[in-house]
Amino acid sequence: MAEVQVPVKSESSVFSFGKTERRLITDPISDNNPITVQVLGVCSALAVTTLVSKALVMGIAVMLVTAFSNYFTSLLREYIPKSVRMIVQLVIIAFLVTVVELILKAVNYPIWKELSVFIGLIITNCILMGRLEAYAMANKPWKSFLDGIGNGLGYGVILVIIAVIRELAGKGSLMDYKIIGPTSEYALNTMEISWLSWYAPNNLAILSPAAMFIIAIIIWVQRSRNPKLVDIS
Amino acid sequence: MSDIINIFIKSAFIENLALSYFLGMCSFLAVSKSVKTALGLGIAVVFVQAITMPVNWLIDHYLLGEGGVFGMDLTFLRFIIFISTIAALVQLVEMVVEKVSPSLYNSLGIFLPLITVNCAILGGSLFMISKEYNFAQSVSFGLGGGIGWALAIVAIAGIREKLAYSHVPPALRGLGMAFFLTGLMGMAFMGLMGIDPAAFK
Amino acid sequence: MFSTSYIIKFTLVMTIIVALVLSLLVSGLKGVHTENESVYNKKGILSAVSQQLGKDINSMGNKEVQELFSTSIDQKVINLKGEVISPEDIKAKTGASEPVDIDWGKEIKKPENERLLPVFTYKSKDNKEYNILYVRGKGLWDEIWGYIAFESDWNTIAGQAFDHKGETPGLGAEIKDNKAWYGQFTGRKIYNPEGEFKSVSVVKGGVKIPDHQVDGISGATITANGVDEMMKRGLKYYESYIQKNKKS
Repeated sequence: MAEVQVPVKSESSVFSFGKTERRLITDPISDNNPITVQVLGVCSALAVTTLVSKALVMGIAVMLVTAFSNYFTSLLREYIPKSVRMIVQLVIIAFLVTVVELILKAVNYPIWKELSVFIGLIITNCILMGRLEAYAMANKPWKSFLDGIGNGLGYGVILVIIAVIRELAGKGSLMDYKIIGPTSEYALNTMEISWLSWYAPNNLAILSPAAMFIIAIIIWVQRSRNPKLVDIS
Repeated sequence: MSDIINIFIKSAFIENLALSYFLGMCSFLAVSKSVKTALGLGIAVVFVQAITMPVNWLIDHYLLGEGGVFGMDLTFLRFIIFISTIAALVQLVEMVVEKVSPSLYNSLGIFLPLITVNCAILGGSLFMISKEYNFAQSVSFGLGGGIGWALAIVAIAGIREKLAYSHVPPALRGLGMAFFLTGLMGMAFMGLMGIDPAAFK
Repeated sequence: MFSTSYIIKFTLVMTIIVALVLSLLVSGLKGVHTENESVYNKKGILSAVSQQLGKDINSMGNKEVQELFSTSIDQKVINLKGEVISPEDIKAKTGASEPVDIDWGKEIKKPENERLLPVFTYKSKDNKEYNILYVRGKGLWDEIWGYIAFESDWNTIAGQAFDHKGETPGLGAEIKDNKAWYGQFTGRKIYNPEGEFKSVSVVKGGVKIPDHQVDGISGATITANGVDEMMKRGLKYYESYIQKNKKS
């Protein structure tokens, strides 16, 4: 089926969604993940992953910014003067980040307050500049948009995985829903279930070094399963 | 005065941008393979951090703030202005360094332009605003923050050089180990958290 | 490739478009932003009496919070001498029309003779009055603050809500997140039976005077010390106001 599609969508259909387009999205989620393989955008991955809700909001924000910055840059790619390329790209990113921040502040003020400077730091998230340089400056807008969505998703997925581990291990809750802990507020009250009485929330998971360890373990697992990704150095 | 020294020590060691806030991790992990390159990047970061922080402070107070030239609250333009200032200053620093000291320019090489997208720089500026520092304090915060970041990357690079002689599982080689190391160093730096900078008066 | 004039034109056009769109967005969302901020502050104050409310404040919508606040909270602003400031003076001094909207973080930095302090009085459904006082101090990384609710005797703590700007999650941030910790303050007293101001101290290694001490947080000594310090200094500011109201 894919073979039939390929010639059709070459130039005529701008918003087609075939096999190549699907790969643009699925690749960054696994084999070409921005965090674990390309090592981009780690900074904010650590600070915002103490709670799943924060990580989700951050993931969505980054996805929107990557997608639209890719799209706009790709639209403008033939008009951007080479000498001021960097600044133009940064302004596009900073503009979108400001828009996202203003909207978040209106939609969910407490989360905005919690994320504080880390929303602004999306600007220097290397994923954005990396994708603009590597993809959007050389490809069509629609494909760039999908590439942005894919990379944003790949980033968000890792963020949420880290946050799930950290919140569950550190606070015994997920999305603020209390699951396991030593009081009656939790769904699994470890004080009452005898075989769980040894369990205590591990505060280390909430501290930022824990995020480093979790990313390291994710990399470890991923590279053991896919030896192609192993560093030669 | 003691206040300024306080902020310097605090930002360099206790609130280390790299190991306490984990900012600027992209270049931190990519460039910490050898001490020499790490030192180059570190020096460049100190440079840029120490210059951009006060400049951004001036811009924030005299252009964007309500008491500024335009007389209205333009703080929503903060991100755009800050990042443009940083990008412009990085380019300026690059040009000046090239003119004044070609040898330093060569040793810094590609690291200078890379610094624009180092979160530690923008992060430092944003932290400075959220902590409501005054001008002198922001100078000291910029210098201390830069030096702290440079120290951290050199320390990690030193460990990674030594690590080349050890047997690491193949899947953990390079990146995986770098993450573990940074995490461990971060934990070590948490030990400094209890220090009261007032004791240095 | 591109001439200098083109580059200048390009950057100019882009700057203008970007600034225009952003300023439109900012002015369009301004109302929502200020309301959100006000609701956030109100939630902070209300959570000091969350036990008396019997409701989860965080699950309430903006409208509900606004309504609850306006019907059950009475706001006053005082100075350090314990004199109540008139609404006109508040407006003239701080520019805010409602005490809840005043930037109390800025207020606390003013010299003591100019400084203003808020007193929020919550009237519960069974007609009991709780006075909520505001304290602010320094944690490990940045500022910390709290709303402390008192029973009508102005002595026994009826509830409390702490918040912080950037304490470490899992350590210092426990002052806001860990109910088992901040819940300790409820029922403590700030005056001893002789009427001397004692505040409530945060101590390491076990509480010895149950009325005036709570246990610290392991791994967050500096934040805990900050709470200790702000409870002593911050509540002391209210002393003359408390003495006036206690007698009457």
